[in-house]
Formats: sequence, C-alpha cells, structure tokens
Amino acid sequence: MQQTDPRAGTPGELLTIEGLKTHFYTQEGTVRAVDGVSFEIRDGQTLGVVGESGCGKSITAMSVLRLIERPGRIVDGKVMLRGKDMLGVSESEMRDIRGNQISMIFQEPMTSLNPVFTCGDQIAETVELHAAVGRKEAWARAVEMLTQVGIPEAARRAKQYPHQLSGGMRQRVMIAMALSTNPELLIADEPTTALDVTIQAQILELMKALRERNKMAIMLITHDLGVVAEMADEVVVMYAGKVMERAEVNTIYERPHNPYTKGLLSSIPRMGEKRERLEVIKGVVPNPLNLPTGCLFKRRCPYAMPVCDTPPPVRSVGPGHISRCWLTPAGEPPLIGEDALPEMADESAQELTVMPR
Amino acid sequence: MDRVETPDTKGRTAVPANVSESEEIDLTPIRTYWQLVRQRFVRHRLAVIALVALAILVTLAVVVPLATGDLYQQTGFARSRGPATLEAPLGYDRLGINLFVRLMKGTQTSLIIGLAAVLIIVGIGTLVGSIAGYAGGWLDNLLMRMVDVVLSLPVLFIILMIVAFFGVGDVRVVIIAIGITGWTLAARLIRAEFLALRNADFVQAARALGAGHRRIIMRHMLPSAMAPLIVAAALGVADSVVTEAALSFLGFGISPPEASLGNMLTGATTLFLRDPIQVFYPGTVLILIVLCASFLGDGLRDALDPRQKIAD
Repeated sequence: MQQTDPRAGTPGELLTIEGLKTHFYTQEGTVRAVDGVSFEIRDGQTLGVVGESGCGKSITAMSVLRLIERPGRIVDGKVMLRGKDMLGVSESEMRDIRGNQISMIFQEPMTSLNPVFTCGDQIAETVELHAAVGRKEAWARAVEMLTQVGIPEAARRAKQYPHQLSGGMRQRVMIAMALSTNPELLIADEPTTALDVTIQAQILELMKALRERNKMAIMLITHDLGVVAEMADEVVVMYAGKVMERAEVNTIYERPHNPYTKGLLSSIPRMGEKRERLEVIKGVVPNPLNLPTGCLFKRRCPYAMPVCDTPPPVRSVGPGHISRCWLTPAGEPPLIGEDALPEMADESAQELTVMPR
Repeated sequence: MDRVETPDTKGRTAVPANVSESEEIDLTPIRTYWQLVRQRFVRHRLAVIALVALAILVTLAVVVPLATGDLYQQTGFARSRGPATLEAPLGYDRLGINLFVRLMKGTQTSLIIGLAAVLIIVGIGTLVGSIAGYAGGWLDNLLMRMVDVVLSLPVLFIILMIVAFFGVGDVRVVIIAIGITGWTLAARLIRAEFLALRNADFVQAARALGAGHRRIIMRHMLPSAMAPLIVAAALGVADSVVTEAALSFLGFGISPPEASLGNMLTGATTLFLRDPIQVFYPGTVLILIVLCASFLGDGLRDALDPRQKIAD
C-alpha cells in the first residue's frame, strides 16, 4: 500500500496496520473479509472505523489481537505495535499484549461478562493476569476501577453478578475491566450499539474522560456516524473489506470525497431539516463470495461510470485525506484520455498484484 | 442481614458527575452467592426432602457402624430370626445377625463405593470432555470415538471381568472398575457444553483480555458447565450404587462377612418365601439412595447456577 502518511515511524506511532488481509476459507469459497486495510493510530488518538454491517470492521479489530479463528486466517500484511510486527510474535507474547497493551470492549455487554463470577472477581482476575499483585490488591484495584467508571457504591457493586446489573452498568464494568491494566490502545467494538440513547451518551462521555485521564488511544468501531463525530479525531470508512476513505473527522463531515461516504452521511437524519423520507444508499452490500470486478461500490454508486469496472486508485485528495475512487480530487469525473489513464491504472495495478493464492 | 438500602441519591458520596442521578440505581439488596444458592435450593421441595432423607441416612450409616464395631458380622444362633427389640429395631436374621446394624454397615459400604466411583467418573469425564470440546477438530473426533468404543462395551461384563481378575470382594477394585467404565456420559455432557461455551461472548472477551487456554477452561468454561456436571454426578452416584449391588448380588462384589446392600439382598433372596421382609430392607434403602441422589442433583443444578433468577 502507499505511504501517504509522512509521520509513519515517528515516536508517536502506536499501531500501524499495513495491507492487512484476513480471509475466510469457507466451503462456498474464499471470503475476503479484510482485504488490504492500512491505517495507523497515534498515541492518544481516537480513530473511528465506520462502515455497514459485514464490511470487515470487527474482523480488522480481531485481526489486530490475532483472535481470528478457523476458517479465517490472516494471509498478508503487517500489524505493528510500536514498530514490532505482532503477526510474528509467539502466542504467549500475544497473550501478554492482549489486555495489557491493547484491550478490547465488545458490543454486547449482556453476554460479554462471565455470568458465574461477580463483576469484581472478573476485573480482579484481569488485573492479576497482567500484574504481579495479590488477590487483595487486585480486588482493591477492581473497586477503584469501578469507581472510576462511575459506578456508585463500587465496593458493593463489585460483589454483584452481571445479571444483577443493567446493560449500561455492565458496559461500564466491561470498560473497567478493559482499562484495569492501563492499556495504550483500547479497541471498542460498537460499545454503545446495544444500549439505549441516554445511556449511550453517558458511556461515550465516560470513554472520553477516561481517554484524557489515561492518555490512551482508542480504535472505535461503529456504524454510527453520530458517535464518530462525537469521539473520533480521524475516520476510516470501510466497505466490503477495503478502506474507502480516510481523513480527519472534520474533513469527512465537511468535504467527503468518496461517494460511499457521501451516501452514509446523507442517510443520517439532521436536526431542523424537513424531509419526507430519509435518503438511503440503494442496494445492498455485495455478496462477499461474489464481489464485482473493479470498484466494489459501483453497483450502488450514483456516480458510477464505465471506468469503475477497473479497480479505482487509492490516492490523496487533500492533506491527510485519501480516497479510493476514480473521481478526481476535486470530485469531478476523471478525464478518460490517453494521458490520464495509464498513470492511474498503474496505481490500481499495484492493488491488484498483491492478491495471493 | 446485610440488607443495605440505597439511600436517597443525595446521600451518596463521590459519584462522578457523569452518572446521571436517575440512572440504574436499583434497590436489590446484595445477597452473597451462598445466600442465593440457599434461596433457590429451598424452592425445590423434592430436593429439600431428598437432602433431609439423605442426611439422615448418611448420619446413620456413619454413626451406627462406628458405635457398634463389628456387631454387624456377629452371629448367634440363640437369636436366630429373633423379633425386633430396642437393640435390633429390624430384628435378627437366620444367623442371628442384628439386621439394622448390618443394614447400616451395608449402606455405608454402598455409599462409599458410590461416591468414590463418582469422583473417578467426574474426573475422567471432565478431563476428556473439556479437552474434546475446547480443542475441537481431530482431537475432539479421536476422543469422542474413544467414548463410543467404551459406550459400545457391555459394561457389566467388563466390570465383572476386572473384578474377577484383580480381586473379588476388594472395595478398591470395585470402585475403580465402576469408575473407569462409567465416565462416558459425563464426558459427553461436558463436551457439548464446552462446544457451546467456546464461542460465548465472555470467553471471547477473556481471550481478548489476554487469558490463556488453561485459565479460560478452568475459570471461565468449567464453572459454566457445572450444571450438567452436577446432574451427571448425581446420576453417577445412583448408578454406581446400583452397579455395586448388582455385582455383590452376583457374588463378585463385596462378599460376607463384609456387608453391602447387594450381598444383603443375595442373602435375603434365599429366605424370600419364608421372610420376604428381609428383601424389603436393603431394597428400600437402595431405592431411597437412588431417588434422593437424583432429586438432590436436580435441586443443586438449579441452585448453583447464578443465572437462574429468583422469581418474584
């Protein structure tokens, strides 16, 4: 993939993903769930990863933690944590990284906690796992964490079982557990999707506050553009396993380049706007077993042109802003002349060559 | 009781500002795990009755033989078929042996065999089942075919062979023989539970937070698989006691002068026409143990599972 980011390799660099490919080898064929994804997260930065269901957001996160199970496999690419390729380390080193340097919270607070242990037990267990502390200290830390995530009467709550808490409380417990080891990176996989709106806002506020306090980076996976606007510094838009657009959060909302991003944005209701119907992106996500040739979005794209049968280039369309589309940086249809095409086709050819098996 | 009522929201201290006051302050008093277990168990009427009956039986089976020494094998023709007295509530048999004392000694033997065999059953079953269910793939296949092989064997004959070969009448041999042939059900139950748990969200979460295989199995999966294990154990006790009785009845288990429910039954059958009540005593105790074990297992399964909510 191309190196558009001049900061790569700088000390602030926490996680770098380069050309990550995670494929699932099913009976019906190969599903390229993640197909050449690249991005990086700097210390303390919040990166929003946005896309529809099944676009590979969660698989990307699981790949970072190397939690992909059969029939899936990471087939190519690099996942560098502080310059060290995590795809090369041993499983026991990986276990040390999980929960310690990188923590994760999940979408379903209802089922992500072990039902047979008290909340305090579970947090204490995670603490014990990664720090050389005794049971008592670990428990104290658990209570401290519960207080930090805003659970009233933490000492008492710690003795309760997950089923005795509400969804919002459970998500707080999950967050407390994930943060109990002071990770440098928190991967939050749709942390608020299962919660109702008022609780959502509280959880987001909490995550913001904890981010400031612990100086950690967050990789926020969501399909909710409102959540991204609220939280993220930078946004990666994914579609069918590929990054469609990447930019600073303001750029994404004010000057989106990719038609897919535009489609996503226009399907959010806006306050004070009178409309009969909400706009939608027509069509459905393509069948991962039978992806179209060329641009994966072309069948649903209002700008689709003949050239879209050729895989579009990934290119810089502004400062820190890249997009995978044939549209020119200004958003115009490309001049399909003899002079314009070969250079672009070259770029896209690079994309095509790295497809093993 | 540690019933702590949550006071009015103003009464709380040090609550971070981002918790809205209205949020989720539920007033459920906190009960400890064992308080909850007791509460759930008590709701199972049959299980409570079974527990009481079993407690009485176990107490008698422990105390009576201890207090009477070798009285259970002392014969005395003067007392032959003597009537019930205060020292011998069930009377005497043909050889003048105190029937009540012998019955209790036999119950003790049977319970010891049942419990010890179940330890082996649960041990092997859990080991095989959890490895198969957690690992999956070829290992799972291999282990489960092994289970199929054991299942296809005629168990009683295998036990008879083992006992005949390694020592008739030896309690330890009987225990091991029953144990190593009876673990298949437990293994299958644990495996099935593990297959389901392997993809549970909380197991994924534990993995994402850096837990290793052993920790995931021991801390996260086994406790959740407890319910079927307890049922398997309860059924195992009942099964083992019956198997021991069958063995002794056939003369391969515990032989006189040692007492077991099985050999008491054998002794009684020869008198069946003249004194049928002698079959009734060990038979009743046997049925009682089997029934109590199953009911208790049922009750414990529900009580120990923290997911079970107490209704109302």
